[in-house]
Amino acid sequence: MQFSSSLLENAVSEFAKLPGIGKKTALRLVLHLLKQDTGDVSNFSEVIARMRSEIKFCQRCYNVADADICSICANSMRKQEIICVVESIRDVIAIESTQQFNGTYHVLGGVISPLDGIGPDQLNIESLVNRIQKETTAELIFALNPTIQGDTTIYYIQKKLSPGSGGQLPQLRITTIARGIAFGGELEYADEMTLARSLQNRLPVESYVASK
Amino acid sequence: MLSLPSISLLQFKNYTNRSFDFKERIIGICGNNGAGKTNLLDAVHYLCFTKSYFSRLDGNNVQQGKSGFRLEGHFLLQDKPEKTICILRETGKKEFSVNDQPYDKFSQHIGRYPCVVIAPDDAVLITGGSEERRKFFDSLLSQLDADYLQHLIVYTKVLQQRNSLLKSFAETTVKDFSLLEVLDEQLIKPGEYIFNKRKEFFVSFLPQAKHLYSEIAMQPEDVTLLYESQLLQSSFAELLKATRQKDCYAQRTTAGIHRDDIEISLGNQLFRNIASQGQRKSLLFALKLAEMEVLRKEKGFPPLLLLDDVFEKLDESRINNLLQKVCVENEGQVFITDTNEERLKQHLDALSVQYQLIGL
Ligand SMILES: Nc1ncnc2c1ncn2[C@@H]1O[C@H](COP(=O)(O)OP(=O)(O)OP(=O)(O)O)[C@@H](O)[C@H]1O
Ligand SMILES: [Mg+2]
Ligand SMILES: [Zn+2]
Repeated sequence: MQFSSSLLENAVSEFAKLPGIGKKTALRLVLHLLKQDTGDVSNFSEVIARMRSEIKFCQRCYNVADADICSICANSMRKQEIICVVESIRDVIAIESTQQFNGTYHVLGGVISPLDGIGPDQLNIESLVNRIQKETTAELIFALNPTIQGDTTIYYIQKKLSPGSGGQLPQLRITTIARGIAFGGELEYADEMTLARSLQNRLPVESYVASK
Repeated sequence: MLSLPSISLLQFKNYTNRSFDFKERIIGICGNNGAGKTNLLDAVHYLCFTKSYFSRLDGNNVQQGKSGFRLEGHFLLQDKPEKTICILRETGKKEFSVNDQPYDKFSQHIGRYPCVVIAPDDAVLITGGSEERRKFFDSLLSQLDADYLQHLIVYTKVLQQRNSLLKSFAETTVKDFSLLEVLDEQLIKPGEYIFNKRKEFFVSFLPQAKHLYSEIAMQPEDVTLLYESQLLQSSFAELLKATRQKDCYAQRTTAGIHRDDIEISLGNQLFRNIASQGQRKSLLFALKLAEMEVLRKEKGFPPLLLLDDVFEKLDESRINNLLQKVCVENEGQVFITDTNEERLKQHLDALSVQYQLIGL
C-alpha cells in the first residue's frame, strides 16, 4: 500500500497490529477516524490510553479492576466462598454474561503447557492455593477449556490441594463445568445457554477424570 | 462396496486441470517416468486420508507457480454417490467435505474410504526403523477404530508436553515432579488403550501376514513376526516410574508405546539384515495384503488398492501371483501403474478380467 502521508501510514500500521485486523481493514478504520471531529478522536485515543495505564488487576482474583480489589470480589452479595477458576479475563466476561453465577473468580492467566514454556510458576496457581487455604472456600469450580492442557491444569491444582501435599480443607468441594462444550472446543465460543447449563450441571472432578 | 468412478484435479502437482473417468474395476495407468502416474494415485490417497501419501506438507502438492489446489472425487459407497472435495486455499487453509458437509476435524474422515497403497518406497517398512512400522499399523488401526486415532492424537500431544517438561528440568534446579506425575497419568490412559488394541490386533494379523508371505514366496521359510512392546513386561505406570531418572537424564520419555515395533526375523536373525530384495518385497506385499484382508473383514467391503510400480524387480511368476491375489481373488477397485504399457496389458489380459487402460 502506498500512502501520501506518513501520519496516515503510521496510524494504519498501528491498527494492523491488532488481532484480526489486516491492512485493508486498518485503512478503513483510519479513514473513518479521519472523517470524525478532532475532539472525538482525541477522546477516543485518551480513553484507550487511560484504560491501559490506569487499569488494575484485582489482588485477590486477578480480574481487571478499577481498584485494588475488583467489583466482584468487593460485592458482599456474591458468594465469596465459591471460586470459579478460569483461564483468562475473557472467560470471566463470558460467564458473567450468562448471569447464572453468583460466586467469585480466579484468573489463572493461562493453562499449563511446558511445550509453550508455561509452567505452574507462570500462572496464578500458588496464589489460588494460598487463597483457598486462607479463606474458608467451600467450592472450587474449574471452568477451563476442555483441552489436554486444561486437564493438566485441573489435575495439577487438584494434586496441590490433596491431603498429601499441604492438606485439602475438609469442606472443599471441587467440581468442573459439565461437558456441554465439545472436547477441544473453546469456552469463549460457547453460546450463553450452553455455558449456563454447563455451570448448573457441574461435575465433581473425580468423576470427570473417571469419565475419560 | 466402495469405488471411485471419477476424479478431477486442479493445480495438483503436474496436473493443471484434468478429469479422469474410471469405468472398470481394474484401472491400468501407463506413462513414462514423470508422466504423473504416482501423482494421480496420490490424489486418490488425498481423498481417502485427507493428506498425501508422500509429503507431509500440503503446500508441496500445489502446482508450481500456482496457489491452492482442488481435488474432487465422485465415490460410490454402498451404492450411494458421494462427492468428496479437498481444497487447499491460497491462504494454506485446507477444507475437506463429503456431499458439501465440511468436517470440523479431518480425523473424522479416516476410515470412511479404506484404502491400501503399495509403492516402491514402502520397502522402508521392512528395512527402515521402527517408526516406519508404527506408521503402518497406526494408519491401519486408525481406519478400523476412530477411538484409536483419537487416543493416539492425545498420547502424542501429552508426550510432547512431557518431553518439553523433561527438557525444562535440565535447565532448573527445582523440578516440579507433581507436574510430571500429572502428565504421567494423562499419558497412561491413552497409552494403555493403544497398547491393548495393538496387542489384540497382532494376535491375528501377524500370523496372517506370515501365511501370506509363504503363499507369495511359494516355499516354506522360517519367518517370524513378533509384537514388541515394553508394556508386555510391565504396566505403563510402573514403566514410567522405573524410567523416571533415566528420562530426566535423557530429557525425553524413554518408555512407552511410541517405541513399539514388529520384530521380523528369518531363522534366528533379523530379517532386514539378511533377506534378499525379493524376500523383502514379498514380505512387504504380505503385510499389505494382510492389511487389505483386515480392512475388508472389518468394513464388510474391500478397500481401494493403489499399486504403484509394483512390477519392478519381480519375476514373472511372482507378478502373476500378486495380480491373481489383488485382481481376481479380491473384488475391490484396483489402480495399477506401470511405465511399460505392453507389459501391463499382457499381465492383465492373462487374468481374463475386464480392465481399463489410461495412457498419460
Ligand atoms: N508441485 C508440483 N508442481 C508441478 N509439477 C510437479 C509438482 N510435483 C511434482 N511435479 C511433477 O510431476 C512429475 C512426477 O510425476 P509422478 O511422480 O506422478 O511421475 P510418475 O509417472 O509416477 O513417474 P515414474 O514412472 O518415474 O514413477 C514430475 O515431472 C514432477 O516435476
Ligand atoms: Mg511414480
Ligand atoms: Zn477480584
